[in-house]
Amino acid sequence: MNLDDPRAASATPTVDLQPSGDSGNGARTPVTPYPQRRATDHPVARHLPASILSPPTPPPPPHLDDYQPIVGQNQLDMLRYLARELKGKTIKMVNSTAVGGGVAEMLNRLVPLLSELEVPARWDVITGGNDFFEITKAFHNALHGASYELTKSAQDIFLMYNEQNRERMQFDEQMVVIHDPQPVGMIRSKEKSQAHWVWRCHVDLSNPDAKVWEFLRPFVEQYNSVIFSSQSFARQLPIPQYLFYPCIDPLSEKNKDLPASQVQKICDDFGIDRSRPVVTQVSRFDRLKDPVGVVKAYKLAKKYVDCQLVLAGGGASDDPEGAVVLQEVKEAAGDDPDIIILDLPPWCALEINAIQRASTIIVQKSLKEGFGLTVTEALWKAKPTIAGAVGGIPNQIVHKLTGVLVHSVEGCAFQIRYLLTHPEFARNIGVSGREHVKENFLMTTNVKRWLLLFRVLEKLKDRNSSA
Amino acid sequence: MRKPQKPFYFNTSEHLLRIGRQKAGTLSELRHAIETCPEDSIFQHTFRTLQEHHFIRQGFSNDFAHWSLSACHEPALAEQLASVDVREFTAIEGLRRRMVEIVDEFLQSHERSGSRPASEPFYFCASDIVVLPTAFVPDTLKGFLDGINQVSVHSIHHHFIEARLRIHRMSNDFSQWLEEEAGLQDAADAIERIDFYTNTLEGVRRQIAGIVSHAMNN
Repeated sequence: MNLDDPRAASATPTVDLQPSGDSGNGARTPVTPYPQRRATDHPVARHLPASILSPPTPPPPPHLDDYQPIVGQNQLDMLRYLARELKGKTIKMVNSTAVGGGVAEMLNRLVPLLSELEVPARWDVITGGNDFFEITKAFHNALHGASYELTKSAQDIFLMYNEQNRERMQFDEQMVVIHDPQPVGMIRSKEKSQAHWVWRCHVDLSNPDAKVWEFLRPFVEQYNSVIFSSQSFARQLPIPQYLFYPCIDPLSEKNKDLPASQVQKICDDFGIDRSRPVVTQVSRFDRLKDPVGVVKAYKLAKKYVDCQLVLAGGGASDDPEGAVVLQEVKEAAGDDPDIIILDLPPWCALEINAIQRASTIIVQKSLKEGFGLTVTEALWKAKPTIAGAVGGIPNQIVHKLTGVLVHSVEGCAFQIRYLLTHPEFARNIGVSGREHVKENFLMTTNVKRWLLLFRVLEKLKDRNSSA
Repeated sequence: MRKPQKPFYFNTSEHLLRIGRQKAGTLSELRHAIETCPEDSIFQHTFRTLQEHHFIRQGFSNDFAHWSLSACHEPALAEQLASVDVREFTAIEGLRRRMVEIVDEFLQSHERSGSRPASEPFYFCASDIVVLPTAFVPDTLKGFLDGINQVSVHSIHHHFIEARLRIHRMSNDFSQWLEEEAGLQDAADAIERIDFYTNTLEGVRRQIAGIVSHAMNN
């Protein structure tokens, strides 16, 4: 779920944005005001405060020194040292959307930071018609394992738009990074360029539709290297594969520190009683996030411990399936006044931040997951976190050390009871979880990985040319 | 105590993770992969993982032990693998052989465990290492103490834990410098005895600083 306002994406002077107007997953959606019908008449669905019904003005992107209080001067010195050897060398990032979605969100931060380190990064966005983005959305789903009939016509449309974009782009940089499958065909310009070509795959390729993967694989194999978000997402390929964990920005609206008074006000607005334990799951209303399972776990736990359950998410207004799942959640919740269901607009990052900070425990009981950045967000706030052992979550949660992993409703219920009744253990795993994020999953670590990769590839090139 | 002749160069190392080709779905496959994987994979899952999890005080030793427990539910094997102290090895090959021996011994007495599928695979990784200098190059004990207090924990890991693979001695860079340059044999020995498996790297830093501080004042 992208809870940041897609319209709030902040372009920087060094970013060449050519917004395609798509929503991040390939589906083009018009920008419309958020519907006022959020306030439903269901007993447990809360009325939303008027203050969040329209998007806020985005804050300016942070500078490197803004991260110093969080990661320390040593980290910033190290980034500057790494960048020094690359000074003046340039990077091009290419993806399929300028606004919305995790990739654009990450690039919005990464590109200005690299440029501030005097490794100028240019960000180009491919364009395409609805036919192209419908196909790439289908590819995306097929790579996640959905069945898909790959036609010759779909292949032709995919290749045609890739060629159109390739012809209008220059590849004069020293490193070209192509994000995800949509622009994968840009590799055809490799022969004419001196760059290292890197394919950054944000998609889980562990169980792809065979035909779609076989169509894409010849492109992928022409790259110099590929990057995955988890070792479990990778394929066997004849090129080096690197592991870059996704990251969160500790200075974003979703993750920055908040004054206690602001957290309290937002809880008051939503009717969350902070004098009693709060168990929260933040995720869109999607069956793969198992919100009904969370309600069941809460009800099992509540036989023994007093608590409230907050289910904060979105996606029910623009996704027909989301609306159905929201209805299922409401039915499972029944008339329990301690279950607070919040169907929030996508720009409510600050509100989500406050709710996470006000929570006693955070749950992410996903049945299938990408990397699971909501888990990263929870850990960053030092919250004891219970999560399904799926996707990239085990990379973040070392069981009983940085959080707890569960495999069932009953397991989740037990861990809610245990953490609520063992606050010292809960506090310890929360503290370790935050350290784990600080070490491995922050934006500054992401900047470091790009600089390291660039240096390693440059060294390889030097070695090859001298040989 | 004497005035050091050579400065101590505080460096740090950063790692770029690579996804390896080996993957294990059972303990037998793990044993085979440990035996055949590149040395930098063994380094990654033992020395390097300690750095990635430097904030955990106890309960984390190496990735093989962690996987044996969390994915194979074999606590006895996990305990044995976790008990392997990387400081006993000055070369990766010795560490690899020890890990293989432990898994072999376990599988000989638990035959059925070898082929039982794990709940999730073990993916072998490795890392490209980039060593970087820091601003700290002291040539006095006081400057050395300042460096210990101010460098990143990655630098502490680089000099205290990874060092023995570089210098091929059962020691570490700090102890070696204190002994050879400052003549502080007792402090060098005390630092070598610090147990980092029951400490965070911040805790290790504090203990080293305490030992150096004590040596300066005596």
